[in-house]
Amino acid sequence: MLAWHAVLFAQDRFPRPEFESGYVYPDHQLPVQRGPVWEYIDLAVLIGALSLASWLALKKRSRQGLVWLSVFSLAYFGFFREGCVCSVGSVQNVALALFNEGYAIPLTALLFFIIPLVFALAFGRVFCAGVCPLGSIQELVGFRPVKLPKAVESVMISIPFVYLGISVLSAATESQFLICRYDPFVGIFRLDAPYTMVIFGALLLLAGIFINRPYCRYLCPYGVLLNIFSRFSQKHLTITPAECINCRLCEDVCPYDAILPSDIVKPVEDPQKERRRFLTYILLIPLFAVAGAVLFSNLSPVFAGLNSNVRLAREIRAEKEDGIIALSKAAIAFKEAGKTENELFQDEINMHQRFRKGSLWLGIFLGISFGLSLVALSTRTRRTGYLPHRGKCYSCGRCFQYCPVQLNNKVSNEKA
Amino acid sequence: MKKLEEKDIKILRGISTGAGIFSLIVALTMLLSIIQLKSFDPLDNPAISSIKEEFDKDPENPVKAEQVRALDLMSRKAYFSSRRQVETGSYLLLAGAAIFILCQRLIAGSEKSIPSLPGERQDQVSGKIRYTKYLAGTVAVLTVAAIISSFMLRSSLPDLSGRNTAKASKEKEKKEDSGRRSAADDFKPDDTNYPFFRGQDGRSIAGGKGYPVEWNGEDGTNIKWKTKVPKNGKSSPVIWKDKIFVTGAEGSDCEVYCLNKNTGEILWSVSASGIPGEPAAPPETDFETGIAASTAATDGKSVCAIFANGNLVCLDMDGNRKWAKNIGTPANVYGYSCSVIMYDGSLIVQFDSNDKVSMMGFDTSSGELKWETLRRGRASWASPVIGTYNGEAQVIINGNPEVTAFNAVTGKELWSIEVLTGDVAPSLALNSKMVYAVTDYARLAAIKPGPGPSIVWQDNMFTSDVSSPVATEDYLFVATGNGDVACYDAVAGDTLWTHYFMDQFYASPIVADEKVYLLDRSGVMHIVKAGPEFEIVAEPPLGEPSDCTPAFSEKNIYVRSRNNIFCISTN
Repeated sequence: MLAWHAVLFAQDRFPRPEFESGYVYPDHQLPVQRGPVWEYIDLAVLIGALSLASWLALKKRSRQGLVWLSVFSLAYFGFFREGCVCSVGSVQNVALALFNEGYAIPLTALLFFIIPLVFALAFGRVFCAGVCPLGSIQELVGFRPVKLPKAVESVMISIPFVYLGISVLSAATESQFLICRYDPFVGIFRLDAPYTMVIFGALLLLAGIFINRPYCRYLCPYGVLLNIFSRFSQKHLTITPAECINCRLCEDVCPYDAILPSDIVKPVEDPQKERRRFLTYILLIPLFAVAGAVLFSNLSPVFAGLNSNVRLAREIRAEKEDGIIALSKAAIAFKEAGKTENELFQDEINMHQRFRKGSLWLGIFLGISFGLSLVALSTRTRRTGYLPHRGKCYSCGRCFQYCPVQLNNKVSNEKA
Repeated sequence: MKKLEEKDIKILRGISTGAGIFSLIVALTMLLSIIQLKSFDPLDNPAISSIKEEFDKDPENPVKAEQVRALDLMSRKAYFSSRRQVETGSYLLLAGAAIFILCQRLIAGSEKSIPSLPGERQDQVSGKIRYTKYLAGTVAVLTVAAIISSFMLRSSLPDLSGRNTAKASKEKEKKEDSGRRSAADDFKPDDTNYPFFRGQDGRSIAGGKGYPVEWNGEDGTNIKWKTKVPKNGKSSPVIWKDKIFVTGAEGSDCEVYCLNKNTGEILWSVSASGIPGEPAAPPETDFETGIAASTAATDGKSVCAIFANGNLVCLDMDGNRKWAKNIGTPANVYGYSCSVIMYDGSLIVQFDSNDKVSMMGFDTSSGELKWETLRRGRASWASPVIGTYNGEAQVIINGNPEVTAFNAVTGKELWSIEVLTGDVAPSLALNSKMVYAVTDYARLAAIKPGPGPSIVWQDNMFTSDVSSPVATEDYLFVATGNGDVACYDAVAGDTLWTHYFMDQFYASPIVADEKVYLLDRSGVMHIVKAGPEFEIVAEPPLGEPSDCTPAFSEKNIYVRSRNNIFCISTN
């Protein structure tokens, strides 16, 4: 709704009326070109915000501070910079640059891709905690969190892997930037978007009041990378500032189901059986990769539909072979351009080959991800206290206030 | 967070509720403004259009001009104020939502308390096994969905070797053989019957081959017969099997004639006058138009004709009147000239008068009016043509200002696009992909037909005023009122060649046997190759001036001059 009015701005195309009164039209005012200085400022703000988020999450342990940082990031990266450049979308720039020699990735986009990952390796997902404008807007509206059933949660968290794969495939084949096109919040930031996307964004925010950060959890493709990098983080936010006393008060407070309970209960399963399962999953990984490759290679014609040239060629062929008239603007423009059908069809074949190759790798990636997830679920690490799940934890600090160790310290400090 | 007191929470709740209601009202107001903006186009305001029409009739009237200006300004003001409302509303909504969220956060923060101790600790191993099952289940579902999608959404690749194309062409040919009206446009002109103005479906394409290219009307070379038509008329001949039909009129006397195609003998002539409702005096028309400018139509069971006084008659093939009625005298400045056309037992009439413009469908057997669809715009002098697009047979007309398609059976309007202005007399040209509209002092436009029609290309260099263009799948030919003929690339709109023929063209060019037959007003037929390069084949003279479009049947050409009908034949 917020952005609808701006959609209408885009239609400001009245033909000039012809005045008989001698009215003189004012000169055209051309907007000043965006200078590179803002790119440097964006980078400085990004690094500053990430550093501050790390300090607030790991050292200061201030949930309040992280919320205010979210407000700032939403205002700066969201409404002021209108959601661009953003780390989430930069995945596509990187994919395009990796697979197309002709594309020179802007340095800002590259750094926006790399810097949050570097911070994730060092301090966990502090980018999500209060720097990402997409995460911030959801974080601020999530004031009535409820936990989804684990079955639903475990099904939904697989979607970002698929979305990441398809987005990379689409960008690498020069087809389209899916993440930007279907960004649900950028329309709200810019007050300009197709109304369907604004409705999608508004619905996500409404859902986000109860199901916190729905986009981050069930769609965000960059979150997949942060999840992986954060698992290897040097340092990470902790629930308790000192040794965990296993009071279990934090056990159910994380809306993202990102708290790992201590593992002090004696395991009920036969360790031999556990080991066998672990080995089986390890051995199955190549099989999953091959199955994924076969499955997604077969799907490549479907994915090829993401490419506008392929869609155009299909439309023209349908007209030629089945008599279904090609009515799209692209088809009309093609006919006007004078390009031959054979050239178009050759493009289609080339694009199909690229998609086939890309889909194969997408299948392998998803197969391996599935296999590794099974392996991770079959391993057990001994934990003496409650710890955040390094991959899933958004470092939002919601759990801080539930830890009595901290509360006790505060009380004792106050008494002192 | 500091715990708030009950009183503070109450205040926050009040503010939050107020902000929520405010946001809701703003959102609804914005919604209404958006609906209003979407439904209202200040450039297409019926009130302004209507007052503009009045102004066009009386362009010197300063009061009318001021009214147009005032209404236009008001309309634009209303549009922009709605837009400003939406713009302001979005900021208000943003502010309202922010206050609502802030209050709710404060309330929720204050309500937080230390959670109660959870129940019995769950076994971690069984929890992980359960997760594994969920994950495996999800992957299984995704796999099945992917397999189904890969089969359902499979798309074959183009075969550039030509095998698939050949197969597709064969299938297309098969489809063409299986019936006259299939999903695709399967136009195939008959080499015997030439039933309407500009032939089958009114497309100016003649079937058959071996038409003469050499004749001389003055010395009789290749003139098989020549018959004087009793009464004057600019209507063109139409043919069914061995019968030719033309119309003529003098004063209030309107007649339909049937000639033997092989001998030129007049087999019968039937009066189309004395019909109830007919005006006492014939309407005033331009000298060039006359009362019998509209060409008759036949489907082998009936022959129907319309005249400028509104008389509409339908006869059987032996000249017996099946029915006749006067549908109202179409009053327009040059005189009525729209020809009738037939489709599936219906006689389709384009009724263009100063008072009313409409399309009518009559039952050819009973004369019952099956449907009438009112049109927008002003009267034109073009005739309807038939094309099949999106699997639907459509009657398409070149109107002013809209080119409009109607369902050929029900008369329902299918699509419409504003193209031309001024006096619109040339009928449309069609091929399987596009519709071409032209009139002088406006433009030539190639239109992509169907819902959401669009102009693909346009040109204003060669525009005809009376003669209708003709389109093949590859080329479009336009013969103008000052003697120019232009050939365009039908798809891209490039001008492939032009030639100046010295004399004007009123008759519409016909494509037959890969040649274009262009009859100029002096009676010389300019025959050129229907190709991308200008190549003249022959220029035989008729010896008499003619404005009528020739008819083609079984290797013979039939031309109506001012007074006679000629049969040109090399047999």
